[in-house]
Amino acid sequence: MIYDQVIIGGGLSGLAAGIRLARFGYKVLILEKHSIPGGLNSYYYRQGRLLETGLHAMTNFAPPSLKAAPLNRLFRQLKLSRKNFTTHQQLRSTIYFPDKLSLSFSNDLNLLFAEVDRLFPESTERFKALVEQIRNHDPFVSRPWTSAKGKLAEILVNERLMNMLLWPLMMYGNCNEHDMDFDQFVIMFQSVFLEGFFRPAGTIKDFLDMLLEHYRALGGEIRFRTPVARFETSGNTVSSVILESGEEIGAKQVISTAGYPATLKFMDQSNSNASEMDKFKGRMSFVEIINVLPVSCRQKLRCDETIIFYNLDEPFDYRRPDEAVNVNCGVICFPENFHDLPAGDEFQLRVTHPANYDLRDSFEPDEYQAQKTLWAARSAETIREIIGNYQENVLYQDVFTPITIEKFTGKAKGAIYGSPIKLRDGLTSLSNLFVAGTDQGYLGIVGAMLSGVTMVNNHIFEER
Amino acid sequence: MTRDQIKDVIVEIIQDIDEDADVKSISPDLPLRDQLDLDSMDFLDIVMELRKRYQLQVPEADYPELASLTSCVNYLEPRLKDV
Repeated sequence: MIYDQVIIGGGLSGLAAGIRLARFGYKVLILEKHSIPGGLNSYYYRQGRLLETGLHAMTNFAPPSLKAAPLNRLFRQLKLSRKNFTTHQQLRSTIYFPDKLSLSFSNDLNLLFAEVDRLFPESTERFKALVEQIRNHDPFVSRPWTSAKGKLAEILVNERLMNMLLWPLMMYGNCNEHDMDFDQFVIMFQSVFLEGFFRPAGTIKDFLDMLLEHYRALGGEIRFRTPVARFETSGNTVSSVILESGEEIGAKQVISTAGYPATLKFMDQSNSNASEMDKFKGRMSFVEIINVLPVSCRQKLRCDETIIFYNLDEPFDYRRPDEAVNVNCGVICFPENFHDLPAGDEFQLRVTHPANYDLRDSFEPDEYQAQKTLWAARSAETIREIIGNYQENVLYQDVFTPITIEKFTGKAKGAIYGSPIKLRDGLTSLSNLFVAGTDQGYLGIVGAMLSGVTMVNNHIFEER
Repeated sequence: MTRDQIKDVIVEIIQDIDEDADVKSISPDLPLRDQLDLDSMDFLDIVMELRKRYQLQVPEADYPELASLTSCVNYLEPRLKDV
């Protein structure tokens, strides 16, 4: 059996690429190492509850009428009905800095304009100019890395405003420390501030099930619990994919969504390119603490926003912490706080902090559990001053670390935003091997899926 | 296929690409992209659909030939005459 395409990874970019290929009659197989799809955006069950991994919110909200919007283009490309896809928009989110400086935004850009005008009246016109520049900037044109901080200092002048705008965009998708590529900044600014946050109706499981059903209905195949070991190559092409079980699968073309370091490993087992590989391992990873709380404690907490992006550190810096976790900054998310979601007896509070993979790696297994508990307690102590005390009300708590992320997603060092070096064109040294997903600079669920679609369009449909 | 059949196929493909496309109001001589708010990704779907249905390869250099409904029919008529 020789497939037209084998896709490594059943996450969102792999599923999108698979749907796109199956739609036009290609014989395609997705290989997923876990028992369920989703990759970084998946789910698991604990004590009868379905818990989501990754997803706080989807970015790139757009009503169905805006045809050119990324979300709607994506649905057309996958032949999914946008009209039958129910979305719930965010309530309101806040960027919180030292001295309780709070800047709120929603999916209505006017709120952000009003907030900038309220807190930084001298910067109102400069901020408007920045938004205009972003609207007219095509971030997908290939350019050398340009400092977003440098550009913003020029346009906005006010450093505090600049840092407050950078913070959510960095936390939601920056693989670089300290600064961010300006194109990446523009992609993120458009997705978060100009378009905005929403959730699909139901859970990430419902969304993944819908994609999987669609993919299979188009004739696509997927195998779970099927980890890949390596590629068999001949000349500068992949001739087949060898599974860890030893089974060989023939493929005319291969799309890898496993991340560039893992893909290099499939290409070269000898590890002779280990130093090359290290270059592509991101340093930014995170811990996420999931708390399930009874609805009765809502009244004593500040919990009427969707997401709070907070930073208490002076000076502000987005970086890998020196300690295992930096609880002085992070993201507080209430995933039930979207318009028209049904209320239950419980609600979730999810808190994300920057973490240091290398330090976590050195813990002994028994100490690892103790460390998780310790950092969850420190996290709660710190954010108490922002949202109030919830510690004694926790019904269920779970902590993901960079190690959890690496184990379940294969992302080297748990770097969820991928390699600091982005391979925007998806090309590799092998002529029929392409990479898609996080290592291309597209972010979030919509971005990951568009990356899968774009690689198929550019390299398989239009052979250049 | 006759010119009318080819025209119907193109309209059907467009409807298939965009559930909201107002195909009844297409002016045959005006660019499809402007009338239907299609972008280059949607446009590629027309090419892919022709490839899937009729094994017809439209090289990238010929994409401008598919600009309007009339030019599509002109371009496809000799290529689909035996279908």
